[in-house]
Amino acid sequence: MSEQIDQALKRKYDAGFVSEIESETFPPGLDEDVIRRLSAMKDEPEWMTEWRLQAYRKWLKMEEPDWAHVDYPKVDYQSISYYSAPKSMKDKPKSLDEVDPELLRTYEKLGIPLHEQEMLAGVAVDAVFDSVSVVTTFREKLEEAGVIFCPISEAIKKYPELVKKYLGTVVPKGDNYFAALNSAVFTDGSFVYIPKGVRCPMELSTYFRINEQNTGQFERTLIVAEEGSYVSYLEGCTAPQRDENQLHAAVVELVALDDAEIKYSTVQNWYPGDEDGKGGIYNFVTKRGLCEKNAKISWTQVETGSAVTWKYPSCILKGDNSVGEFYSVALTRGKQQADTGTKMIHLGKNTKSTIISKGISAGRSNNAYRGLVRMGPGAEGARNFTECDSLLIGDQCGAHTFPYIESSNPTAIVEHEATTSKVSDDQLFLCQQRGLDPEKAVSMIVNGFCKEVFRELPMEFAVEAGKLLEISLEGSVG
Amino acid sequence: MSQWLAHVIERAANVDDWLSPVRANALAELKQKQWPGRRTEAWRYTSLHKVADLALKTSSQAVAEAPQVNGLNSIDLVFVDGRLSTDIAHLQLPEGIRIAALDAKSDAAEALFANIKPAHHLFGLVNDVLAQQGIVIDVAEGAQVEQPIRIVNVSTNGIESHQRTLVRVGQGAKATIIEHGVGNEQSLNTVFAEYDIADRASLEHYRLALQEDQAIHVGGSHFRLHNESKLNSTLVGYGSQLTRLDVDIEHAGEHAFAKFNNIYLLAPHEHFDLHSTIEHAQPNGTTEENARGIIGDKAKAVFNGRIHIHRHAQKTLAELNNRNLLLSRGAQINTKPELEIYADDVQCAHGATVAEIDEEALYYMLTRGIDKQQALVMLNFGFVQELLFQMPNKALADWLQPILRQRFERMMEQK
Repeated sequence: MSEQIDQALKRKYDAGFVSEIESETFPPGLDEDVIRRLSAMKDEPEWMTEWRLQAYRKWLKMEEPDWAHVDYPKVDYQSISYYSAPKSMKDKPKSLDEVDPELLRTYEKLGIPLHEQEMLAGVAVDAVFDSVSVVTTFREKLEEAGVIFCPISEAIKKYPELVKKYLGTVVPKGDNYFAALNSAVFTDGSFVYIPKGVRCPMELSTYFRINEQNTGQFERTLIVAEEGSYVSYLEGCTAPQRDENQLHAAVVELVALDDAEIKYSTVQNWYPGDEDGKGGIYNFVTKRGLCEKNAKISWTQVETGSAVTWKYPSCILKGDNSVGEFYSVALTRGKQQADTGTKMIHLGKNTKSTIISKGISAGRSNNAYRGLVRMGPGAEGARNFTECDSLLIGDQCGAHTFPYIESSNPTAIVEHEATTSKVSDDQLFLCQQRGLDPEKAVSMIVNGFCKEVFRELPMEFAVEAGKLLEISLEGSVG
Repeated sequence: MSQWLAHVIERAANVDDWLSPVRANALAELKQKQWPGRRTEAWRYTSLHKVADLALKTSSQAVAEAPQVNGLNSIDLVFVDGRLSTDIAHLQLPEGIRIAALDAKSDAAEALFANIKPAHHLFGLVNDVLAQQGIVIDVAEGAQVEQPIRIVNVSTNGIESHQRTLVRVGQGAKATIIEHGVGNEQSLNTVFAEYDIADRASLEHYRLALQEDQAIHVGGSHFRLHNESKLNSTLVGYGSQLTRLDVDIEHAGEHAFAKFNNIYLLAPHEHFDLHSTIEHAQPNGTTEENARGIIGDKAKAVFNGRIHIHRHAQKTLAELNNRNLLLSRGAQINTKPELEIYADDVQCAHGATVAEIDEEALYYMLTRGIDKQQALVMLNFGFVQELLFQMPNKALADWLQPILRQRFERMMEQK
């Protein structure tokens, strides 16, 4: 059995390849000039440059947070290059045929069938290759519905009023160390605007891909759902294998106005590093949504990648009757470290939140849930239910739970439950008795353990997530 | 740095007794400490601004009586403002038990002092350097002491005091210790107790932190459990101006069992903060922790319950449950049940709830003709009473129940 474990642990990262595309890349380093250059490079208006500089000045005064249950060598922010763009971008491809064939091949290797998606899945893709968005499909169909779905760099130029109105309102420039850094140097990301009363005709999706050695990725995503609108957004990512740690500090802001609903799903499978945790991605992400009256924001995440994860998708339930949800599966193996969870800030009356978190630790990894549920004085009749369960596979890993509960309203109800156990011998035995090999049995049991979260995922992602988990668990039976 | 702490460090230099070498270590440690602020995790929800510049008298001539507990029949050791007022030389002691003052050098004191209490507690260090008075209780191997020993701390107006308790329960021995604190006038009282529970020994423990109103009380009870030992502990706390308690239970031996119940009942404007840490360092340990609190108008409760299961501690069973009731607008609870687990073959769970009275249960009682106020008292008080009923010492439970009930009824009126 332990041989199997070893084999699985040594399994090479499937998506580990580097595509060679000529890139225009800044030399490593960060100062105000780099930010001005970056801003100029992207042809940004003056207000945007100034916004970035303000964020940078805040960042300089901040300290990297150290409260998370993770341990990693200090990041040298001066050794990172803050801009890298695929060269072929300069000719602005009008259709897929004009796209750099090398780039298309990369997508193919990753199993992102752009053509098929256009034809069959009905998914519009705003693919981010390194820092510049390259292909955006189904734009017209979305435009018909009045939906704006474009790279945020384009939105800054085309819809400056919208961006100005909402950018930084949910995650302010100086919110935290990584968010401030992102605000200063974000290169691209997605902008989504759903007009009043519109149900977005398709699921929107962005595939991320980290390429180009030593390039940090600083995506910025802003989704605004006007009154009574609905959108489901899918985010998935994978990265090629390399030896140096890569920093990823994204910011995602969601604004759900009265009666709007945003569903945000993530499958994250970035390179987790080798057996010793060397070379994996650092994923330090700030995700937060603001709910106005009767609005709903639902975060679903399946996290299997990255060497270090620091991520707390949160909801500010400002409007009365608003709803926040967080469904998460986090699997760590090897020497991966994850500190992830959510914050539900209840401000309005009758606000509701649900948190379901499933942590699976294998190998020598550490997996922590960290969450905050706050019932403000005005959160009359508010309700929260939290369940976080941990599963340990092997005796060298760790599973931790740090839930913060703060209540200052007597009519608010908060319930928190957490359990930790291993895959039960009885269950394993039963499955094996029925002719399943131990590996399949564990995979089945773990899939069952995660079912509550998987069923929240859109169809396409549910399949991918299940498969991802199965691959990640291969041979972890002991 | 606070004025008060600077003053503590100054005063520590004048303490000279047989414990001075140990105190010197604590002092060195204390000098390294930062004054806790909002960013200090252990003090995140409890502000120390009331202590920061506190300047109270450090000596007292006050005389006070210990509160009587009917039917308890305990051996009482009374400290008034940190000074031992009981003549311990003339106590009638059951067989197998020795009681000495801290200022007399003894094996037990040497083995225990600052040895069980983790060094990270700021006020524990303060107590290390300043507590000159204290009590050392040594229960001999195999001794079955039925009579409870009660250590009473009375704080009087305008005094700062520090007291220490050290208890060793020998192999297979059995003992009952009650730590009982009272005081309602402006005062600062730190009381730290260290317990070593040897193989197969059993300790019944109570900590009644009944300081209220203007008093400030900071303290801790720290336990080390050896093989197959048992601890059954109940903590009852009021809030006072500021009450902060740290309880550490360390499973240093295998097959140890710990049950820890706590009840807090906070009247308006009181502040109560309980941090409990359960360290499972060895396999096959069991811990059951239950904390229940009722928080009155503008009172604030903080509960931090941590269970830490070390890599080696397989087959651990650990459960922690925290339930809270907020009585009114303005009352506040901050709770954090933490699990940190490094062993796979364990069963751990924690839960925390914050809720209002169950409307259906209330409705049911009203339909049975019970008056609303009374129904509320029955429902809410029933919530903590459950834990009172679990106290093995009936005399103490019977004494506490009406006192807590009255306090609760007053809280309901003030709502």
